[in-house]
Amino acid sequence: MDSNKLRADFPVLQSSKSIYFDSACTALKPRAVVDAESGYYSELSACAGRSHHSLARRTEEKFEASRARIASFVGAKPEELVFTKNTTEALNLVIRSLDYSQRRKVVSTPLEHHSLLLPIMEQQRRGIVKMEMMGVNQAGEIPESSLSVIDSSTALVAVHHTTNTTGMRAPLEKIVKAAHDAGALVLIDAAQGVPHSRVDFRKLGADFLAFSGHKMCGPTGIGCLVGKKEAFEKLDTFIVGGETVETVSLQAVKWKSAPKRFEAGIQNYAGAIGLAAACDYLSKIGMENIERHEKEMAGKLISAIQSIPGATIYGSVSAPRCALASFNLKGVSAHQVALMADSLSKIAMRSGVFCAEPGANVLGFGKGAARASLYLYNTEEEVRIFAETMQKIAKL
Amino acid sequence: MLCFVALAVFLVLSIFSAKYRPLARRALDCVVKKATLRPCDAGLDEEIKAASISGIMKISPGGASFLNRHFEAFSLLFTLLFFVSLFFAAQGLYNFIIYGNCNGFEGGFCIYSGLQNEAFLKAPTSLQGVSAGNPNANITVIEFGCYTCPYTKAAETGVQGIISNYGNKVHYVYKAFPLPSHPYSREAALAAFCAADDGKYWEYRAALFDRQEDVRQNGTAVLYDISRSLNLTSFDSCYAAGKHNDLLQKSTDECTASGIYGTPTFFVNGKAFVGPGAVIDAEKEVKKLIGE
Repeated sequence: MDSNKLRADFPVLQSSKSIYFDSACTALKPRAVVDAESGYYSELSACAGRSHHSLARRTEEKFEASRARIASFVGAKPEELVFTKNTTEALNLVIRSLDYSQRRKVVSTPLEHHSLLLPIMEQQRRGIVKMEMMGVNQAGEIPESSLSVIDSSTALVAVHHTTNTTGMRAPLEKIVKAAHDAGALVLIDAAQGVPHSRVDFRKLGADFLAFSGHKMCGPTGIGCLVGKKEAFEKLDTFIVGGETVETVSLQAVKWKSAPKRFEAGIQNYAGAIGLAAACDYLSKIGMENIERHEKEMAGKLISAIQSIPGATIYGSVSAPRCALASFNLKGVSAHQVALMADSLSKIAMRSGVFCAEPGANVLGFGKGAARASLYLYNTEEEVRIFAETMQKIAKL
Repeated sequence: MLCFVALAVFLVLSIFSAKYRPLARRALDCVVKKATLRPCDAGLDEEIKAASISGIMKISPGGASFLNRHFEAFSLLFTLLFFVSLFFAAQGLYNFIIYGNCNGFEGGFCIYSGLQNEAFLKAPTSLQGVSAGNPNANITVIEFGCYTCPYTKAAETGVQGIISNYGNKVHYVYKAFPLPSHPYSREAALAAFCAADDGKYWEYRAALFDRQEDVRQNGTAVLYDISRSLNLTSFDSCYAAGKHNDLLQKSTDECTASGIYGTPTFFVNGKAFVGPGAVIDAEKEVKKLIGE
């Protein structure tokens, strides 16, 4: 895999000379994805599953083929994949629709994104669930001992695949086993996992897996909830409307089974087609190659930051992580670091608490950190420029 | 702190370019929050700081480091300077509106003078006023002046030069425009009209300019004193009765209609010249018209 060659696939990198280190927020889109998405509007522009004219049939075929392609990308069956707006909606769907009549406890970690934590907190505020946290140390690790919070009263364990604050992975194998041993379902927030590593839904063994298109070179506005058939059956309806039902009378409704039951109204066909194109694009490069590239970049990124006197990197530097690092430089605020990186070297990076405030507090950057998050199109030369720029800023 | 300065700067820039309006809104949001003792979360101050330090870093890393370490102090200094300059700007504007010059009585360079434009002045339609020179001349020089205005006094030597050098080719007319900003200007104008009744206008006018500071300080007493020194017989009754109030009002109305905003103002065959140096330009115009 040659990142320098891959850069030619990304129109933004041709028009802007920025060093894009904000892929954890959203990844850049290759031409193939842009063309696939716009292709829907220029060649089809019809709705699927409703009308019977040829354009509608072709839309339906393309939409369902996209579903199958995306499902296959994460090792799932087409009928196990529900299209959502994004990861946030997918997480809300599970957390707000799950039947808590038998078990009320939802277990999570403080490291989660607000998109996962807030729905649980909202359910708790309404008296529907009881939230409990697995302990996390300051290195961002979830010790095995903290899994003891998962017990027979646990309905759901909701946890990240990879955090957006440190790029570290949760010990999913152990968590899934502990949850299933206790009879609980497992929901994995894989927004930062699917784009950066080979994620196989079957091998993970989780009940639900949520991810977004835009973080994996796909379009914005499209996300997925992958779930086992029996897990979907434990969910009540979420957003209801057109195409979620078999029959409706004023007395009774017969709902469709998943995935259609959860896909109300006209869907984001262009987004689904674009996301399928993104899966094709990533598969062509090879997720193993991307993972290897990121590992290499992560090493260089960490070394670059570690070489700066007074720099603090959050999370364990020895633990495996995707090419992401949250850090602070002594004497300069995180926002200043990000703004100056842009001003001095056109480095696009994020600063703040990354929509994970409780996690930021646990990790020690409650007032914010700067975050460099790389992807397949980032190069060693860019990391070198980043290192030089950070050295300059650190000398202030 | 910087958001106060930013608001003023971006508000002004917003007048000329729409791209600054979102920044002005953010600065306003920040100012409102600061004013209500809430933290400014607009991030604008951070952006300004980053942009300033980055810009200096490209030239001098040491300078950038110094600015970074003392940024709050610089912010405070610039904010104070902003408020001080805002005060002086407001004071200048007040003086400009009231006195026609940013510096009040004293005059001098005024940045707002650019707001005034000689092109908008209208030449008076009548030749009523004190006159000298040749009434049948093709060149008419009209002066709007104020006897207690230092600039009118400063121009007087030039005026007398025009009258003496080109008297046969120029018809000079003086119209009194007593500015309220100049002390005893109205009284001096009325006194000059009364002196004219005694046939000693030009002598009285010369004395008014000679003793201008005295008139500005002591007013009417000096006006009477001048009349006595010139042996004006009807002055006392004329002045006490306000005999020429209507004449002065007519002259003032004429000035207002012409859009006069400062004294002295000269019209040479309808072309306007304003300010302390105007008499020199007026004389040049006269020479040009004569063909010298």
